[in-house]
Amino acid sequence: MMTLHGVDIYLWTPTIPELPKTFGPFTLTFISNRGTRVTTPPSPRVEVLDWPQCRFLSDAEVTDKDVDALMNHLTGLGWRWTMCQKLFRKEGADQFSQPY
Amino acid sequence: MAHKVCLIRGDGTGPELVSAVETILNAAKVNIDWIEVEAGLKCVEAGKPIVPDETIAKIAEVGVGLKAPMTTPIGKGSVSPNVTLRKRLELYACVRPVFSLPGVETPFKNLDIVIFRENTEDLYAQIEYMCTEKVAHSVKVISESGSERIIRAAFEYARKNGRKKVVGVHKANIMKVADGMFLRVFKKVAEEYPDIESWDNIVDNQCMQLVTRWSIYDMLVTLNLYGDIMSDLAAGMMGGLGVAPGANYGKDCALFEAVHGSAPKYTGMNKVNPTALLLSATMMLEHLGEHDAKANVEGALKATLMKGVKTYDLGGSATTSGFAEAVASEMKG
Repeated sequence: MMTLHGVDIYLWTPTIPELPKTFGPFTLTFISNRGTRVTTPPSPRVEVLDWPQCRFLSDAEVTDKDVDALMNHLTGLGWRWTMCQKLFRKEGADQFSQPY
Repeated sequence: MAHKVCLIRGDGTGPELVSAVETILNAAKVNIDWIEVEAGLKCVEAGKPIVPDETIAKIAEVGVGLKAPMTTPIGKGSVSPNVTLRKRLELYACVRPVFSLPGVETPFKNLDIVIFRENTEDLYAQIEYMCTEKVAHSVKVISESGSERIIRAAFEYARKNGRKKVVGVHKANIMKVADGMFLRVFKKVAEEYPDIESWDNIVDNQCMQLVTRWSIYDMLVTLNLYGDIMSDLAAGMMGGLGVAPGANYGKDCALFEAVHGSAPKYTGMNKVNPTALLLSATMMLEHLGEHDAKANVEGALKATLMKGVKTYDLGGSATTSGFAEAVASEMKG
């Protein structure tokens, strides 16, 4: 059975966003661009698209309400998002890819 | 003054191939200051990342690298060192020339095509999720800027190298949004190059035409996944991955590589064909402005092949080092 542990939020912003490092049970683990990590050093010199992938993850299982609260918080801070994808684990194994 | 070049000796047969190329470049009297950097299986076995940050930083600083094949460890969490280098250094243009070599018999006579493959986005963004227990989702990222820079690079290459035709390859009849954007950008950029004949083609049709009407094609520019598949198809038409060179270019950096694997089962057997890495090195010589040395090495390689000196993959019995010495002995001057 898959359990919910986080969410990838894709923002619409021209630069690498400054986001809260933590919120509720979540920790911002990275921001990536085209699948390549651009935050949490070392940051490669890449052309940044206006579509950063921002991963908020929790070791503990979270709920849909936790995700809703995070999304509302970011929206309240003025961030526009275009897509989000829940992050599941199954028997401890990530059911999602990692950035380069 | 010596050219500074980062060198990755690679895994498996990689070090043997590098030694062969060094033999030949020394014979060509090219003054290169090799800066050895670590990457690959050896790093993993030493508890380091497969491409350490210091390696990325050094190649970015020097701006040029030559890379022998590396091994991607099999297992959970392992990443490709090749993809890591391309992505972290933002080497967005993978350039794969395919051409007929004398003495390398194939059904495809007078082959001469250059394939430009976008290297940083598409499904190779490798963003994947299990959405439910039974549904997986892989995100195909195509951007206007990413499309434009690879397409423009192809047209600029055509102009600089006297190429006359560039074909944009896509699947916009099905992926009307993502590939549709690539096609739209292709047509827009093509208008800026009226001296270069251009048209577009659907990738499946292009694959068929590559093996039936290859002589009408000059250059192809395409998305990452299609480019991956088409360039290996074209490498087969050239005589196999053992002879197919490759280069990856970014804004400030270039990395030259044989596109085949590290062939670990042949490690230490002095058996594998060094031609692919050698031809990649000649692309590097061109990048460094060593045009005479490039011509000299390529001439010596062709002379060697025409004499029937070949490694096992081409039906010969020459060893890796023996082939390199034969090429070196054909060098002019």
